Amino acid sequence: MRKLSIVMLLFVFVAYTAYAGGYQVRLQGQKQTGIGLIGTPFALGASSMFYNPGSLSFMKANNSYSLGVSGVMANAIYQANGSNYQASTVNPTGTPFYFYGAGKVTEDLSVGVGVFTPYGNTLKWDNDWRGRYLIQEISLAAIFIQPTVAYKINDKFGIGAGLDIVLGSVDLTKALPNPIDGQFNMNGKTTEFGYNVGIFLKPNEDFNIGVDYRSKVNMKIENGQTEFRDVPQSLGSFFPSSGNFDAELPLPANLDVGMSYQISEKFMLALELNYVFWSAYDSLIIDFKENNEKLADSRNPRKYANTAIWRIGGEYKISEKLIARAGVYYDPSPTNKNYFTPETVSLNTVAFTLGLSYMPTEKLSIDLSYLQLEGLQEDRAYDPDNFGGTYATRTFVPGIGVSYNF
Amino acid sequence: MKYRTIIFLSLVGLLFACKPEIDEFKASAGSADFSNYISVGNSLTAGYADGALYHSAQANSYPSILAQQFKTVGGGEFVQPVVESEYGVLPGKLVLDYSTNCLGETSLGPVPASGQAEGYAPVGYSVNNLGVPGAKTFHLLAPGYGNPAGVPVGLANPYYARFASAADASVIGDAAAHEATFFSLWIGNNDVLGYATSGGIGDTITGQPSFAYFMDNIVGALTANGAKGVIANLPGITGAAFFNVIPYNGLVLTEQIQVDGLNAAYAPLGITFNLGQNPFIIADPNAPAGLRQITENEMVLLTTPGDSLRCAGWGSIKPIPDQYTLSENEIANINSAIEGYNATIKTLADTYNLAFVDINSYFGQVESGVTYDGESFSVTYVTGGTFSLDGIHLTQKGYALIANQFITAINGKYGANIPKVSVTDYPGIEFP
Repeated sequence: MRKLSIVMLLFVFVAYTAYAGGYQVRLQGQKQTGIGLIGTPFALGASSMFYNPGSLSFMKANNSYSLGVSGVMANAIYQANGSNYQASTVNPTGTPFYFYGAGKVTEDLSVGVGVFTPYGNTLKWDNDWRGRYLIQEISLAAIFIQPTVAYKINDKFGIGAGLDIVLGSVDLTKALPNPIDGQFNMNGKTTEFGYNVGIFLKPNEDFNIGVDYRSKVNMKIENGQTEFRDVPQSLGSFFPSSGNFDAELPLPANLDVGMSYQISEKFMLALELNYVFWSAYDSLIIDFKENNEKLADSRNPRKYANTAIWRIGGEYKISEKLIARAGVYYDPSPTNKNYFTPETVSLNTVAFTLGLSYMPTEKLSIDLSYLQLEGLQEDRAYDPDNFGGTYATRTFVPGIGVSYNF
Repeated sequence: MKYRTIIFLSLVGLLFACKPEIDEFKASAGSADFSNYISVGNSLTAGYADGALYHSAQANSYPSILAQQFKTVGGGEFVQPVVESEYGVLPGKLVLDYSTNCLGETSLGPVPASGQAEGYAPVGYSVNNLGVPGAKTFHLLAPGYGNPAGVPVGLANPYYARFASAADASVIGDAAAHEATFFSLWIGNNDVLGYATSGGIGDTITGQPSFAYFMDNIVGALTANGAKGVIANLPGITGAAFFNVIPYNGLVLTEQIQVDGLNAAYAPLGITFNLGQNPFIIADPNAPAGLRQITENEMVLLTTPGDSLRCAGWGSIKPIPDQYTLSENEIANINSAIEGYNATIKTLADTYNLAFVDINSYFGQVESGVTYDGESFSVTYVTGGTFSLDGIHLTQKGYALIANQFITAINGKYGANIPKVSVTDYPGIEFP
C-alpha cells in the first residue's frame, strides 16, 4: 500500500476569493483545481477531506501529506451608467496556503486533518471611488480545521465525515456621506462549527461516483469592533470612534455529486454538479450595540439565490511521471440583479483550468495548476443605494504544491 | 517535461497581462453645438448658496458643472464673473456653527460668517454665466439694470453691475451679443419668490400675461441667431426648506400655569391652549383684533427671529408679524402663479423647440427623498443635503443634482450623450 497511485496525487491548494459564486472558493486541491475544480468522485488521498471524506477511505498509501500555495490575482472593473466614470479594484495578491495530513489506522479506517479556506473575499477599491459609500475595502476569511474519519465498508463503498472548526474573520471599511464625510470600519472574529459528510462509490475499477454534503456555517460575530473616523466634532457623540456590533454572515451549505470514468488507460473524464444553498444569504444586518437618534442598525438586503455549478474535466497520462489536466465550468452568480453590491463582485462566470503533475519518485508529486475566471459583463445595481453600472471581472490563480505519500 | 512546463508558465504569463475591459462611455454632442455656451437666469444660475454668492460655491454653479461636461463633446471655455472672496459679493453668508440663544442654550445652527464680502466692483471681462441673483424675468430685459451708479439708490442690481457690458446694457442684450451656439435659461423664481419670502406683503407677484410676454421676449432674443438651448421650469417653492423649518404648531407649553394664563388672555377671542404643541398666534389684519391661531396649512418662515419666539412672547402673548407667515390664501397665490409660469415655460419650450427640464416634478421626487451612489437627499433643512443654509438656494451637491437633470433633458432632445456628474463628489454643508 505504500505505492503511489497515479490518480491520487494530491495537491491541494487552499484558495481564496475570487469573484466567482459569491464568496465561496472551491480551490482546495491542486489536482482538483486542474481538472475543473472537480473533486467529489476522486480518491486523491488527503485532499479528499474537503471534496469528499467518503473517498478518503480509499486512499492507497498509509500516509498522505499535501502542502501548497497559490497566488490569487483578481480584478474587477466598474463603468457607471450615463457617465464616463470607470473604476478598477486595486486588490492585493492573495497568497493562500493549505495543508492536509492523513493516515491509515487499519486497512479500512483512515483519519486525517485538513486546514483550508473554502470561503473568502478580499476586495479593495480606491478610497475615493464612486461606490465608496457602499464599500472601500473588505476582507472576509474563514479558515477551516477539519479532523476527519473515513471508513471503507467494502471495495465498492466508503463513507466519511469531518468536523469543521471554523476560524472566521471579517474586516470592512467604507466611506460615510455628508454631513459626516468620514469613514467607517468594522472588524470581528468568531469560531464556529460545521461538518462535512460524503459517500464514495466504486462500481468498477474505471467508474467512480461521489456525493458530498458540506453544512452551512453561520459566522456569528459578537461584540465586533466599530470605528467611525474623521467625523466632524459636532457629530462625534453620534458616531463614536469606538463601539461594538453583532452581525451574521452565512457560509452556505453545498451538495455535490460527481462521477468519473477511466475511458482508456491514459484518459479519464469527470463531471460534477455543485449545488450551493446561497439563499441563506438574505441580508447583512449590522446590529450596533449602542444606537442613538442618528445611528440605527444597518439592514442591507442581499437576496442571494441557490446556484448549480456544472463542471467537466479530463486528465491525460502523458507518461508514468507526468499527468496533464484541463477543465471548464460555468458558475452562475447567486446575487440578485437589484441587490448587487460592489463588496462582492460576483458575476456569471466562465472558468477554465489547466493542471500538470510531475512525479520524480513514486512517493513525491509536484503539482501545478492554473485557473482563470471570466466574470461576464453585466449591468447590475444595488437599488437601496441607487448605485449601478456595468461590471466585469477577470481572475488568475496559478498554484503550486507538493504531496508526499508513503 | 521541461519544455512543457515552460510553455505552461509562459501561457500563464501571457494571460496575466490582461485586465478585464468594458467599453468606455462614448460622449457625443448629438445635433447640438456646445462650443459657445451661455447661461441666463437668477441666483440659482449664478451659484448662490448660504445667503451669498461666494467663491467655492460659484465654482460649482450648475452652468459651470454643465460647461465642464460639455467639454467632453466640444464645449468651449466658460467664463464666470468670478467672486474671489469666500464671504461673497455682499454680506450675509451663513455658516453652520454653535450659537447661544436667549435662554442660554447653545446649539448648532446657521450663524453669520465672520469675513469680509468683496463688494460689486466690475470684473472687467465678458462672461458666459449671466445668472443675476435677484433678477425677475423683466429685469433681464431692462436696460441699465447693471448700471453701477444705480446700485446705491436701488435702481440697479449689484450682481449684474459686476459684469454688465455698459451702464445702459441689459442682461439679454449682453447675452445676445455672445452669439452663443447653446444656451440654458432658468428664470422666473423671483417673480414670485419675493412675495413668498416676505410673507406675501413685501413684493408683488408678476402677472401671468406679463410673465408670458417677458419670457417670450427673452427666449426670442436668445434664439434669434438660431442657437439651440434648454429651458427649465420652476420648483414648487413652498416645498423649499425655508418654508418648512419652523412648524405651525411650534408653540410648546410645558407648564399648566402658561396654559392657564394664555387661555385667560385669549378667552375673548375663543382661542384655547393645551400642554404640549400649540399653533402659533399670528398677525392677520382680517381677523378679529388683528390676530388668530395659525392653521396647519399655513407656514412660518425660516427668517422669523428665533429669540423673539423663545423669549419675547412672539406666537403666544404677541402675534408673529405678518411678514413672517404665509396664509392659505397667500400660499394658493404662490402655487397658482408657479402653475401659470410653468405652463408658459412649457409652451415656450415647445414653440421654440428647446430641451425642457421639468425641475418642478424632479423637486417633487426630492421632497420624498432620492439617493445617488449611497448618498441620500431630501428637502430637510441642513441635514437633507439639498438646500443650503439659506433654505432657498442649493448646496453644491444640490446644483449637481440640477445639472444632471439638465443633461438628461439635453441628451433626450438633441440625441446627445453627455456624461452625467457624480453628485457625491461635490461639497455639501460643512459641519464644524
